[in-house]
Order: sequence, then structure tokens, then C-alpha cells
Amino acid sequence: MHPFSILTLAIFVAGYITARWDLVTRLYELIVFAWDKGVIVRAAQGFALLTLTFTLVLIPVQHIARVEADLHDGLMRVFWPIDITTSDVPGVVVGWRNSSLDVVVIAVLDHVDPRSVENALKTGILLRSAPHAVPRIFEICGQSSIHVLGVTNRNSEFEPDPSWVRATVGASYKVPKITCPKASSIQINLFQRPNPLRMQYISLNPIALSLADKENNASYRVFDSSDAEDEKQERKNKQKNRLLVDKEDQHSGVGHTPSQKDKALARVVNQINWTWELEHLLQKNVPLIGARPKRTLSVSERVVEHAVNMRDYLILWVCDVVILYAFPIIRSVFILILIGHRFAAEAFLQILEWRARPNSPALKDVSATAQQVEIRLQQFCYWPMQYVKLRLRKNDWDSVTDSHPDYIRFYNSLWLVANDVIIGIALGSYIIDNADWVADTISMLLGRYTINALQSSISWLMGWPAGLKLNSELALFLGDLFLWVIDYWSSCIGTLQPLLPHIVWFIGFSSFAGASMPIALFSDLLSVLTIHIYSFYLASARIYHWQLTILLSLFQLFQGKKYNVLRNRVDACDYDLDQLLVGTILFTLLFFLLPTVVVFYLNFALARMVIISLKAIFDTLLSCLNHFPLFALMLRAKDPRRLPGGIRFELRDTPDRLSINSTPPSPSFPQPTSVIYLKPVPLTFTAMFHQYFQMGNRIRKHYLSPRVLFCLVTGRFVPPIHRKALYSLQYSMLPARRAGIMEMWNALNSLPTKKRPVNVYPYGFPQPNGSLNGRRHTNGRAVRGM
Amino acid sequence: MLTTAPYLRTRRPSPTTAEFIVSTLPPMTIPLRLALGAVYLLRLVAALGILLLLFSAWAQSPYSSSNASLSSTSPDALDDDSPPPLLSLAFIQQLLFLILSTRPGSLFPPLASALPPWLLVPASAFALYSLSLRIGSEERLLVLRGLGVQTSTGGRTVFHPLQTRFIPTERVADVLVNEAFRGFGVRHYLVVVVRGGEDRLVVVFPELLPRLDDVARVLEGARACLYGGGGGGGGGGEEKGGGRFERRSIA
Repeated sequence: MHPFSILTLAIFVAGYITARWDLVTRLYELIVFAWDKGVIVRAAQGFALLTLTFTLVLIPVQHIARVEADLHDGLMRVFWPIDITTSDVPGVVVGWRNSSLDVVVIAVLDHVDPRSVENALKTGILLRSAPHAVPRIFEICGQSSIHVLGVTNRNSEFEPDPSWVRATVGASYKVPKITCPKASSIQINLFQRPNPLRMQYISLNPIALSLADKENNASYRVFDSSDAEDEKQERKNKQKNRLLVDKEDQHSGVGHTPSQKDKALARVVNQINWTWELEHLLQKNVPLIGARPKRTLSVSERVVEHAVNMRDYLILWVCDVVILYAFPIIRSVFILILIGHRFAAEAFLQILEWRARPNSPALKDVSATAQQVEIRLQQFCYWPMQYVKLRLRKNDWDSVTDSHPDYIRFYNSLWLVANDVIIGIALGSYIIDNADWVADTISMLLGRYTINALQSSISWLMGWPAGLKLNSELALFLGDLFLWVIDYWSSCIGTLQPLLPHIVWFIGFSSFAGASMPIALFSDLLSVLTIHIYSFYLASARIYHWQLTILLSLFQLFQGKKYNVLRNRVDACDYDLDQLLVGTILFTLLFFLLPTVVVFYLNFALARMVIISLKAIFDTLLSCLNHFPLFALMLRAKDPRRLPGGIRFELRDTPDRLSINSTPPSPSFPQPTSVIYLKPVPLTFTAMFHQYFQMGNRIRKHYLSPRVLFCLVTGRFVPPIHRKALYSLQYSMLPARRAGIMEMWNALNSLPTKKRPVNVYPYGFPQPNGSLNGRRHTNGRAVRGM
Repeated sequence: MLTTAPYLRTRRPSPTTAEFIVSTLPPMTIPLRLALGAVYLLRLVAALGILLLLFSAWAQSPYSSSNASLSSTSPDALDDDSPPPLLSLAFIQQLLFLILSTRPGSLFPPLASALPPWLLVPASAFALYSLSLRIGSEERLLVLRGLGVQTSTGGRTVFHPLQTRFIPTERVADVLVNEAFRGFGVRHYLVVVVRGGEDRLVVVFPELLPRLDDVARVLEGARACLYGGGGGGGGGGEEKGGGRFERRSIA
């Protein structure tokens, strides 16, 4: 309190006392009176009595209640790695203690005393010479320290802490026998440790093979108008579902509040992932406990060691020189080349993404080739970033599993591109060798199917097709019109004919950039060379649609009704006689002309559908070449534990009760024990091809919906599916926004420079063998690939 | 004849762990094991026979490259050829032709040529599928206190792996019995209500759908196992579970 305010308060109190002196004297009299009558003594007695009751009754009751509660939920949960090294000798169990009765075992250390292990853990001796930062372990595993959890193979005289486990392990026991004085029942979860050096890990959720941030973007992206409606509907449905779910959450009771053990599962999964690496570290440091440090080597021993290590030294020295002088130069040249590539890629991407107006399609939306080039360029832009991310992984513990999906994505896309190029070289050399034959075949196919077949079908329609009596004048007019355009088009194709071998040669040459390139080029070539069919389809659809709308409105005139534009409904209307007459005559005329138009329209619509399905086949091929989860499939066959899809538990038969009861430690205390195996579930194939299913669904929704049928019947234009919707599959491997040039430059330069491989100085004395091998081992890991 | 109506088995090694198994296979006895083994063996032989039939049909078709070699598989032609290396494609082909030339094997080519391919291929595909179906089915519910609930369903065919789904306790909102119309009957089924995520209701025993008293027993057991209250407070827990169940089923 401020001294000034204290002074003020004191002055106030003093003033008050002087002003009300009679009150003070009366208070004094009251105290004297109370003392005389024994009031104060009685109050003191009451206070003492209450204190006594509290200490004698309430505190023991609370203690008993706590003990009872512990016993009531006295479930001891032990996660025990089934493949740790154990022996028959007494040892100490070390691991994580998530709550008093929930432990994850890391290692069993033999031949040591529990107290000294506890001290060593507190002082951090056991985590000495860790290859990476130690606090990172505790950060990810969610605990502040490693504890001693219990003892193994001790006789019953040994009295441990009541919450310690007492395990019996050894070669003759498949499953460790565990008892704990404090627990009422025991759950042993056995697991096979995932090996972080092989990038195995377990996780509660399936590994994500595609980039996650795409989902949100995709849902908000506006497709062309027809799709936007569907998307909107879908989004609305989702919203409604979410609302319902939220309401359900509010109405369902609070239920069971999760306990410590329930919440620990995610942490336990991380701890299990770390077990392998931590166990190796602990076992390496066990000799440091209690034992004296080794004596230094004698002179003769040093001589022998020098002689043994001389060759290694020479090699290391050469390595050192190369890394010190040659490596930085190579590295900066490489970075410069990459940045140059990045500049070129940026220029091309700008061209491909250029739009005249914000709503007009960019080049990549129109042509499959442009799209393919764009995907490749984006991949080239993304690879260095991915590589940097993966490279930084080496500076961390192997048990950190965040970047494993990135690793799979990176190598999958690299592998796909390599595959693509290999197939492309085969295809390209074939096409170039047989360019003339291919060109002949293409022109033959073009002539036969897009010109001759069309001509013959039109002339068939101009007669009386299938005995159908069409209006011959109109059929003649329409047929002549189309035939005339086809004639003109065929002359165009004729001038193109000599160029065709060159185009084919070019396509063949382009396929050295990957087999996807000629496929995209063929797809584009198909759309260019069948442009007349597209325009016929558009024209006939227009005519047919007009006629149909006129017929509909005239039909309403027939009924004495009229469409009211203002109210958007059909109203009754009084027509004059001449209006009715003209309308009827027109209706009859148009109605009789309709079959002729329908026949022509159907002809072209059919041709158009064939072309669309051909292009769909090309697009499917492209998406297979660009996105097939090849690497993931290979991993699934080679090592399913690298593709975790969740976990499952398997209840094993408990070892027979008789032997438990007859074991010496606690014959009077048979704790019911359940043995459970925790196993990883590999990723399902459905999840791997999830994106393909999604794409198939989208295509099906677009083309096989009743809306498309309706469009086809009424002659409205069936819009082709937007490229973006179709290609979202391929973009799912790429980030939504590509990294800028400066960003890439910074990332590449932030890569740690290669250090001297060893902390060995060519002219100094060698360090002990262990650390030398360790360092070389860590460097050697850089080579370890898949 | 090897299967029975779905019945419930319970494994409960400790009060905090329980597995409920609904299966249509009776408890394994030695005669039953032998019978099952024999049936699967017969099925395997039949499946191999169908594959051999398909092979002989393919060998007779014009697409086969070994069309000439089929005519030259007379014993003398085999003799002068040096045997191809083991485990190569040619060796397997030769072996298959050898089998086809034996007495039971010689039944296949005439049969294959008698059946038109459009009938043979779908029929044999269907037969292979029906031969690979599992005998009896089994569905499980594993309840672990502090960990979660796991449902598992055996695959339909021999090649399908066990399908499991694990729900951590944090996400289990409730376990309850619901009723639904199926055909003209009312079926009661056990449901795990999941907090958050895509599908909020996970049906336990979705294929076999055991009877109501079995479902009620599983419900009680699962609640006792998951939330405690078994043993001493068992009566109260049961009553509470029963009340809950009643309310839900009326609603």
C-alpha cells in the first residue's frame, strides 16, 4: 500500500477514536466483562475441539476415500514393447508415466539399481550423447521426464514403491507377467515397435496421401454455372447436416467425462513411435550408471589403433577437403541453375494463366497440352521446396513423423515423372520411326469417320431413313447445308494432309518430355480436327431448341393460356380468333417439321457424345500417368507399416490362471489380467484410390445426371465438364499457391551446409571408435532412400 | 449344416476388458474342425479345376501363342526338348499341358471347347467367387476401458481381410440400442454414437443383427466395462442402463 494512503488511514482512525472515545471505553469494559465471565476460555476450547475433530476424522476419511477411488478405478494400463531385449536377470523398467497407473515402457535396463537409475534420469545422464535436441523428445511425448516404472525378476523380499510394476520376463515367457500392488486389474498392451529408421510409425488416423489444404479451396471455387448449382446444393446439404449434428450434440447428455487415461491415447501413440530410438539411446548409456569411466588407452594400444584406423583417416581427410572446397561451388552452381529454371517456369506459367478478363478462360482451361505443361512446371516449382523440407528432417529425430507423408508424396511424384519419361521415350521413338504410317492412319481415320461417315449418314437422312417419311424439302435443305460445310472442311483437311507427318513427328518428339505429352497433344488434335462436328451439333441443337420452345408456347395458346413473364407463371388469356388461327397453323407446320430436325439433331448429338467419351478416355489416361499412387502401392507391398491407416486391438487368451496363482510374488493377490495386442492397420486400397473414386463420382454426376438427359432431350447445350473439376485430382499433389522465386531462393540457401563429416582433426589424436562410427553412420544415412 | 443361428459368446479376462462375439459357427470341436478343413480343401480343388478349364479354353483359342505347342505336346515332342528351367513361364506351361494330358485332365479340353467363351468366362468367375465365400460369419465388439471400442467384421470372402474400426473413448458419446424396420420385422441393434467426424452412428454387428436379449446383454456388459459400475455398483448400473435403453427404444 502506498505510504501516503497509510498515513491518511492512520489519521482517520486516530481522529475517529478521539471523536468517539466513549465507544472505545465501552469496548474495553466489554472485554473485561467477557474475561470475568469466562467467555474467551470457552471460545478457545471450542476451537481446539474443532481442530481435533478435523485432524482425527475428516483427514483420515478423505484419505480412505482417495484410496478407495484409486482401487475402484484401479486399472493398471501397461504398454509393453514385445521386441525389447530382456533377460532373466533382475532389471529396471524405464518409461513414461502418463498417470499413476498408466505407463508406457521404453526399456528394461539390466544389472542396475533402481535408485541409481532414477538419479541418472533426473540428472540426464541416460540421455547423454543424444544425436539431436533432447527437449524435443519431451515436447512431442507430452511428458516432462522419463521415470522408473518398476523392476523385473526381483524376488518378493524386494519392496518397491506401491505404484511400481513388478514384471517377470525372460526367454521362457512370451508375455511378461506383470503385477502391481496398487492396481486392482491389469491391462497389458503389447506392441511391436515401429522402426523409425525404416520410417515406420503408427497413427490413429489414416495417413493423408494428398495435400490437405486443397479441400477447403476446392469447395469455394466457382465452377461454371451449371456446376455451381450442384456445388451450392451440396454445400447447403452439408451445412444442414452440420447444424443437425450440432443440435444433437447440444441435446445429448454430457455423458461420461473422459478420464486421464482416455485423453492420453494420442500421447501414447507418439510415445510408442519414440520407443525404438529412445531404447537404443538408453541402452547405449547404461554403462555410464555407477560404473567408473574407462581408463585412457596405453601407448601400445594407441599405436595399434592408429595403425588400424590409418586408411579410414586418409579417406576421411580426402572427404573433408572435397567437402570444404569443392562442395560449396557445386552447390551454388546448382542453386543458380535451379533459380534460372524457376524464372523460366514463372514466365511460362504467367503465359498459361493469363486471362483477358477475370471470367474468361485461361489457356490452361482450354487445352489439355497447356494444362499438362502447367502441371509439370508447377511440379518443378514445388520439388525444391519439398526437398528442402525433407532435408531438414535429417536434423531432427527419426521418430518425428510429421514429414513422412511429404516424403511419400515427393518420391511418388518423382517416380511418376520418371516413369512418364521412360514410357514417353519408348512411345516417342516408335512414333518417330513410324511417323508416315501413323500420319496415314490418322488421316485415313479422319477421312473415314469424321467426313465420309458423316456424309453418308446425312445423305441417308435426306432420303427416307428407316422408312420414316420426313419432310423432304426441309431434309434436303438441311442436308445440303451440312454437306456443303463438310465439303469445305474436307478441302481444308486436304491442304492439311501434307503437314500431318510433320505434326506427328513433332508429337513423337514431344513425348521425350513424357508419355503424357503426346496424349494431351492427341486430345487437343482431336478437338481441333472435329471442330466441324462440334459446330454442327451447336447449330442443330439451336434450331431444335428454338422449335421446341415455339411449339411449347403455341401449345399454351392452344389451351387459351399464356406465359406471364412478370409473375413467372402461366395465366389464362383471351386470344382473338385471328391470333388463334395463325397460331394453330404455325403449330401444325412446326409440329410436322419437328421429326426432320430431331433426326438431324440426334445424329450430331451422338457424334458429339462419342467425341466427348473419347476425350474422357484420354483424360483418364492422363490422370493415371500424372497421379497414380505408384509409390504408395509399392510401399504397401513392401512394408505396410509405413502406411498406417489406424490401429486395432486384439484380445489374446490370458495365460492360464493356475500359473498366475502359483507364482510366488502374490499368491493371495490374483489381479485379473487381460493381454491385448496393439497392431497397426495398413492403409486400405480404397483410401489410396480415394481421389479416383471422387473424380469418377464427379464425372458421373456431371454426365449421367437427369439434368444432362433433360438438356439432351430439349436440345439445350450440354456443357463439357470443367477442366478444373476434372483435374482437381492432379492438383491435389500440389499446393494451392506456388512458392515465389524469392521464397525458393531463401529456402535453398537456408539448407544447412554440409559439415565436416567427423569431429576428427587430421593431425590430432583419434577420438574413441564409438563416436567416430556414430558420426559416419549418421552421414551414411543421407544415402538411405526409400 | 456347419453353421447355426447367430449366438453370443463373451470373453472377459478382466472386468475392464470384454469381447463380445456373435458368430454363426458353433464352438470349435475336433470333428467340426476336420469337416471345415475338408470343405475348404474340396473348394480349393474345385477352384483349381476351374482355373485349369479356363487355361485349356485359352490354349485352344486363336489368341494363345502356344497354339502350335499344344499340337506338339505329344510325348515324343516333349522328349527331345531339353526341360526348361524351373519356375519359368515355359515350365509352368509345360506342366499344365502335362496335367491336361492325364486321364482326369483330358476331360477339360472337350468341355472348354463345348462351352462358348461368353458363357464360360462369367460362369467360371461366378463359380470362383462363390467358392471363395467364407463358411459362417463372425462379428466382434471389443470394449477396453480407457482405450475405446472396436468393432470388427470378418470379410465375406477368404481374400477379404478382417475389417476393424476403432473408436477412442474420447469420441464415444454413448452406446445404445435402437430399433429399425427391416422387411416386415422390427430389428434391435446396438449403436455406438461417435462424437465428431463423418459417420456419427456405428452399428455393431451390422450383418448378423442378433436378437434383442443378446443385444441388451451386450449393452449392459459394454457399459459396465466402459464406464465402470460393474461388480459392486452393478445393480445400479444395470438399472440405469435398462432405463436408458427403454427411453431410447420408445423414442
